[in-house]
Amino acid sequence: MANIIRAASRRDVLKISALSSVGGLLGAARASAAPKSMTMMHESSFIPAYDAFFKNTLAPAYEKATGIKIIYETVSVGSLQTRVTTVAETNNGPDMTMMIFNWAYLFDEKLVDVTDIAATIGKKAGGWHDSAAEAVVVNGKWKGIPFGNIGQLMNYRMDWFAEVGVKDFPDTWDALMEAGIKLKKAGHPFGFELGHGFGDNHGWLYPLLWSFGGREVAPDGKTVAIDSAETARAVDFCREFFQKTMFEDVLGWTDVSNNKAYLSEQISCTNNAESILYIAKRDFPDIGKVTGQAQNPKGPTGQRFHMLNPLTHGIFSHTPDIQAAKDFMVWVMDPKQAGAWYDVAVSYYGPYLHMFDDAPFWHAEPRNLPYRDSLTTSHLPGWPAPISRSQSESVAKYVVVDMFAKACAGKSTKEVISDASAQLKQIFGKPA
Amino acid sequence: MSATVLNGPALNKPARPSQAAFRRWTEREAVFSWLMIIPPVLFLVLLVGYPLAYGIWLSLEDRPVARAGHFVGLANFIADFHDPVFWQVTVNTFVYTFAATVLKMIGGLGLALVMNQDFRFKNTIRAMMLLPFIVPTVLSTIAWMWILDPSFSVVNWLLRYFNIADPGPSWLGNPHLAMFSLIMVNVWRGLPFYAITLLAGLQTISPELYEAATIDGASALARFRFVTLPLLRPVIFIVTMFSVIFTFADFQLVYVLTRGAPANATQLFATYAFDVAMGGGQLGMGASIALAMLPPLALIIIAMAIYMKPNKS
Repeated sequence: MANIIRAASRRDVLKISALSSVGGLLGAARASAAPKSMTMMHESSFIPAYDAFFKNTLAPAYEKATGIKIIYETVSVGSLQTRVTTVAETNNGPDMTMMIFNWAYLFDEKLVDVTDIAATIGKKAGGWHDSAAEAVVVNGKWKGIPFGNIGQLMNYRMDWFAEVGVKDFPDTWDALMEAGIKLKKAGHPFGFELGHGFGDNHGWLYPLLWSFGGREVAPDGKTVAIDSAETARAVDFCREFFQKTMFEDVLGWTDVSNNKAYLSEQISCTNNAESILYIAKRDFPDIGKVTGQAQNPKGPTGQRFHMLNPLTHGIFSHTPDIQAAKDFMVWVMDPKQAGAWYDVAVSYYGPYLHMFDDAPFWHAEPRNLPYRDSLTTSHLPGWPAPISRSQSESVAKYVVVDMFAKACAGKSTKEVISDASAQLKQIFGKPA
Repeated sequence: MSATVLNGPALNKPARPSQAAFRRWTEREAVFSWLMIIPPVLFLVLLVGYPLAYGIWLSLEDRPVARAGHFVGLANFIADFHDPVFWQVTVNTFVYTFAATVLKMIGGLGLALVMNQDFRFKNTIRAMMLLPFIVPTVLSTIAWMWILDPSFSVVNWLLRYFNIADPGPSWLGNPHLAMFSLIMVNVWRGLPFYAITLLAGLQTISPELYEAATIDGASALARFRFVTLPLLRPVIFIVTMFSVIFTFADFQLVYVLTRGAPANATQLFATYAFDVAMGGGQLGMGASIALAMLPPLALIIIAMAIYMKPNKS
């Protein structure tokens, strides 16, 4: 099996290199003419209508207006980073790509500076939210155009909460734990991912750490700051929260597990994107009716935080006609086009442009409003330090997630913090 | 024959003698063997040697994804040795490989011995036995994900139904059980390979040897111990070597079931290297983790080769 896969990728490599030389020749021949087609790479959206809208409406409209065909290439969920890596390393493939998380930083050198068009797009649509810059600005340059934030918030069963006397979603982590204790006793435990998924683990654990005052690293991006009384309090809280409101399985969960558990009525509260409510309304209407969504609770610092989860679009520097790609990006982000695209996905992709702050799609489902409001308190992992390679390594090694997970599995607070601190010192000690 | 026909008219034209000489030269065993060997060697150098060499080069570089790297010598390996997770991954990989291989060896041998008997529907059952090996791993692993899911697990449902445990163990959430579960799934997937290969080995053993042993008064156990096992040894060696290599470098099971959780309890070399190289964009460090597999794997293979060498006498 492994050999078949390897053989296939080898063939691909050969094909890519053969095509690249042909492509190179063609590229040289038509350097001045407008391209006949450009390719935009995207991860398959879990909302099929979103992909379909690009393919069936946006792309044909652009072709009609300019004669340039836009090919929308979808990649299966979870494999986009591998694909972007291959494209960036070989300087071949699609012209534009969807990016998430800190990829604008990771692939910085292979992405076109789009500061100019970001300003144009911002001006047309009421300006950018501050968090847009946090997501894509690398060394003062915009390396991507933010499209939407896929917020990670609280999803809960309003009916079960009401049964134990909790009418509104608790405002603090302590109050949430109190509710959770009652709900677990009533047979409705909580289920927050503490395993090695892509997002639902970081989505609540970084905000938890921040709201207790803990920081992974100081604003300078070099001094490891995890070993603090605040972190210790967050870890102690997490352990108790896990023991009193959840069950062991969450330690091995991946990103699909909490959706599955929630939609099969195994859990009463989790931290996730809007997808749970979306699927519930579509496939399990009874659950959909009683599902509420809320911002993350406040910690002892009185502050609440969220994970910044940006979906952005970047232009690869190998693109034969950078201006053509920029023109398309400006066109697609024009409120007329972008607004319709946001509409199809209801509010799953929360815009970074102020013009859409009060757009009708937010009011189509008012339960999604907390996702809009969370943007001002959302940050990338590693905040308040700027995005960096070290940060990326820390996330890939699950340092913060595993610090909490190990404490939940029974290790002492001191031990897990000192493990995390040692790992982070090694990671952040390297030259940036 | 065809050579003589071609060589015959060659004598009439001036250019032909050199051609004939060339042909004679290529037909020399020393030359011909090289000519035959060169294409596959080139193939291997290009498709195996080059990636390996590139991997070694990467591991010696500080090489972020999509950026130029610079040579750092053994710095990546030194960083690995100071990384507590790296050592946890090393222990995990050894436990996983050892437990899964031993279980597959014992189970596979047992299965092969049973399949070597005569019974009805023998061929159908032999074919069915191969199913776990034929089904694409990712698909069968997703099925296992459901089997091991606490809410939907058929195992936990049975435990609850018979009042043995409620809600039943957390197969993937408990660090020890998660490793146990992964080993079981690996054994399930790898057993048919062992069984079929060993069955092929068993069928090459002449029945006369068993008859002779029986006449000499050997019990069933003695026949197994002194006839079957020694003659099967070369096959056991080959199949174990393959199994060790594949199990040591396993990726798919872990990636689908746990992605290394809980807290790296099931993280293996291949998955850790992937996380660091792809997720973290640290190609050099990822390569160094992947390459760290090589020396222990080579040592295991060499040790096995010495220990299990077929007795030539």
